[in-house]
Amino acid sequence: MAATAAPRSPATIAPAPPTLAVPLPLAGLLARAVVAGLVAAAVLVPPLLAGSVWQQRIALAAIYAVIGLSVNVLTGHAGQISLGHQAFVGIGAFTSAYLSFRLAAGFPVAVLVAAATGAALAGVLGLAALRIRGLYLALVTLAFGLTAETTLFNWRAFTGGGAGAEAPRPALVGTDLRYSYLCLAVLGLVLLLDWRLVRTKAGRAFVVLRGDERVAATLGVNVTGYKLLAFVLSGLLAGLAGALFAHWSQVVQALDFDFQIALVWVVMAVVGGLRSRAGVVLASAFFALLPTVLPELLTASPVQPPFLNEAVYHVLPPFVAVVLLLLTLILVPGGVGQLLLPVRRWLAGGRLRTGRSAPQAGDGG
Amino acid sequence: MWTFLVQGVFQGAVYGLLAVGLVLVYKGTRVFNFAQGEFGSVAAFVTWGLLLHTAVPYLVAFVGGLLAAVAMGLLVERAVVRPLFAASRLILLVATVGVALLAIALTVLAAQPQARVLPPAVAGEPITVAGASVLPQQILVLVALAAVAAGLAGFFRTDLGLAVLAVSQDPVATRVVGINPVMLSRVIWGLAAGLGGLAGLLQAPVGIFTPGFMTATTLLPAFAAAVLGGMTSLPGAFAGGVAIGVAQNLGIYLLGQQLAVPGAAELTVFGLLLAVLLVRPQGLLGKAA
Repeated sequence: MAATAAPRSPATIAPAPPTLAVPLPLAGLLARAVVAGLVAAAVLVPPLLAGSVWQQRIALAAIYAVIGLSVNVLTGHAGQISLGHQAFVGIGAFTSAYLSFRLAAGFPVAVLVAAATGAALAGVLGLAALRIRGLYLALVTLAFGLTAETTLFNWRAFTGGGAGAEAPRPALVGTDLRYSYLCLAVLGLVLLLDWRLVRTKAGRAFVVLRGDERVAATLGVNVTGYKLLAFVLSGLLAGLAGALFAHWSQVVQALDFDFQIALVWVVMAVVGGLRSRAGVVLASAFFALLPTVLPELLTASPVQPPFLNEAVYHVLPPFVAVVLLLLTLILVPGGVGQLLLPVRRWLAGGRLRTGRSAPQAGDGG
Repeated sequence: MWTFLVQGVFQGAVYGLLAVGLVLVYKGTRVFNFAQGEFGSVAAFVTWGLLLHTAVPYLVAFVGGLLAAVAMGLLVERAVVRPLFAASRLILLVATVGVALLAIALTVLAAQPQARVLPPAVAGEPITVAGASVLPQQILVLVALAAVAAGLAGFFRTDLGLAVLAVSQDPVATRVVGINPVMLSRVIWGLAAGLGGLAGLLQAPVGIFTPGFMTATTLLPAFAAAVLGGMTSLPGAFAGGVAIGVAQNLGIYLLGQQLAVPGAAELTVFGLLLAVLLVRPQGLLGKAA
C-alpha cells in the first residue's frame, strides 16, 4: 500500500523547463530583468543597511537555507526521509570547531573537512539504510540522530561536553557583516550545485528512484549508487551548514542539535515545498527567524493581548511552525514552491497564468 | 547487573503498552504514529492539573486523563489523518510528527516547562522482586500490560474487534461487506490513544515528568518494540516491549556503567532497531513482507 505508484502524467513527473517559444518583447524582458534585479537586491543589500543583530539573523537564515536544501536533496530529490539531520549538521559543527580551535587549522580547511565528515557520516548511515525503506527509514534516522546527539556530541574529548566547543572566526570574515555575506555566498554556491544536480543524469535517476525503487531498478538505474549519492550529498551540505553555524555562534554544544530541531528542519523543507529551491530557501529563512523575531514583534506591539506572557513567546514559534505544516500538507501540498510557481514561470519567460495545474510535491514514497 | 535486568522488564512494560497502540494504528490505518507518546504526556498533564486545581479523587483524575487522551486521539484522526489519508504514508508520518510537536508546545503553554511530580496510583515503599528493588507503581504497569493483553484478546472476538482485524487485512473488502471505515478509523485511533494515555499515566509517577516526556524517552523504544514484534502483531508488541526494556537496560549496564559511554540508552535502542531491520525485517511474529 505504501508503494502504490499512482499513474502520473509526464508533466507531473518532470516539470518541463519553460522554453521561449516566442521571443519576448523588449518590455517583457525589461520587466523581468527589473524584478530579478529587485529580488537580488532584496537579498544582497539588507546586510549593508542592517545592524549587527540583523546581520547575524541574515547569516543564520542563509545557514538554515543550506540545511533546508540538504534535507531537500535527500527527501525531495531521492525520496528518502531523514528525521536525524541534526547528526550531520552537528558533526560538521563540532568537526569545524575542533579543527579550528584545538588544532588551529585554517578556516577553509576546517569548513571543508567538516563538510566531508558530514558526507562520510551520512554515507555510513546510507550504507546501513540501503535495505531499509520508507517509514522504517524514518525510524532509523530518528534513532540515529538521537544517538549522535546523546553519544557523539557528549564525547568530552571531541565536543567539550556540556561546556561546548569554541569555534573562532578568522579575521577576514570576523565581522557580522562579512560573515553574513560569506553565508549568502555559500548559499549561492549550494543553489548552483542543486540546480546542476537536477539537470544531470543523477537528477533524472532521482526522479525514477523516488517514484518507485523497483521500477527504477528495472529501468537500469543503479538504485544503490544513487541512494548513497543522495545521502552523501545531503550529508555534505549538512556538514557545511554545521560548520557555518559553529563559526556563526562561535560556541557549539550538544543542546544546539536536539531532535526537535531536526524535526523543524524537515518541517521547513516540506512547508517550503520539496524540490522547489526558492520555496525551501524562503521557508528555511522564515523558520530561522521565527524564534527570535516573533517574540520581539509581540513584545513591541502596542496592543498586548492579556493572555500573552514570557512562556507564550517561547511556545509560539513551534506552534506557528506546526500549524503552517498542517495547513501546507492539507491545503497546499506543494508548499511555498507551489505558490511561487507562476512567478517562476513568468521570470523564465512564460506566462503568469496557464491552465496547467501545479505539480504535486511530497509524492515521494 | 541483575537489578538492571529486572528493572528492564518493568520499564519494558511501558514500552509494550505504547507499542500496542502503535501496532493498532499501523494495522488499522497504515500510519506510523509519532504522536503516540504525546497521548501519554497529555494524559499525565491533565491528571496532574485535575489533582492540582480540583478536589476530585485520584481515580476520577486518572479517568479524566484517559478521556483527554482519547479525545486527543479522535481529534487527530478527524483533523489530521482523515484529510491526509490519500497522501503518501511519509507525509502522514511527518504530519503526526507535527502533532507531537504541537502537543508539546501546548503542554508547555498550559503547564510551564518545569518538571512535575504525579502521585503514584499505588503508593508505598519499594519492594524486592527477584532480588531487585521495584516500586509498587512499576508492578502496576506490568499488571496493566497483562490486563490490556487480556482485554484486547477479548475485544478481537467481538464484532467490532473482528471488523478492526478485517480492515487491517483488506480495507476494500471490509467496505464492500458494509462496514463503515470511518467509524473503524475512529475506534482504532480512540483505542490507541487511550492505551497511550494509560502508558503515560502509569509511567509519569515512576519519576518526574516534563512536557513531551513520553516522546523524548519512550516513543523510540516503543517503536523498536513494535518493529521487533513484527509491526502488525499485538502479542509481538507486548513481548517486544519487554525484550527491548531488558536489552536497553543491559546496554545501559554494559556500555553506560562499565564503559562510561554517554547516551548508552539511545545507542542500544538504535543498534537493536538497525539489527532487527537488517537481519529480520519482518520481526519476530510478523508475516514476511
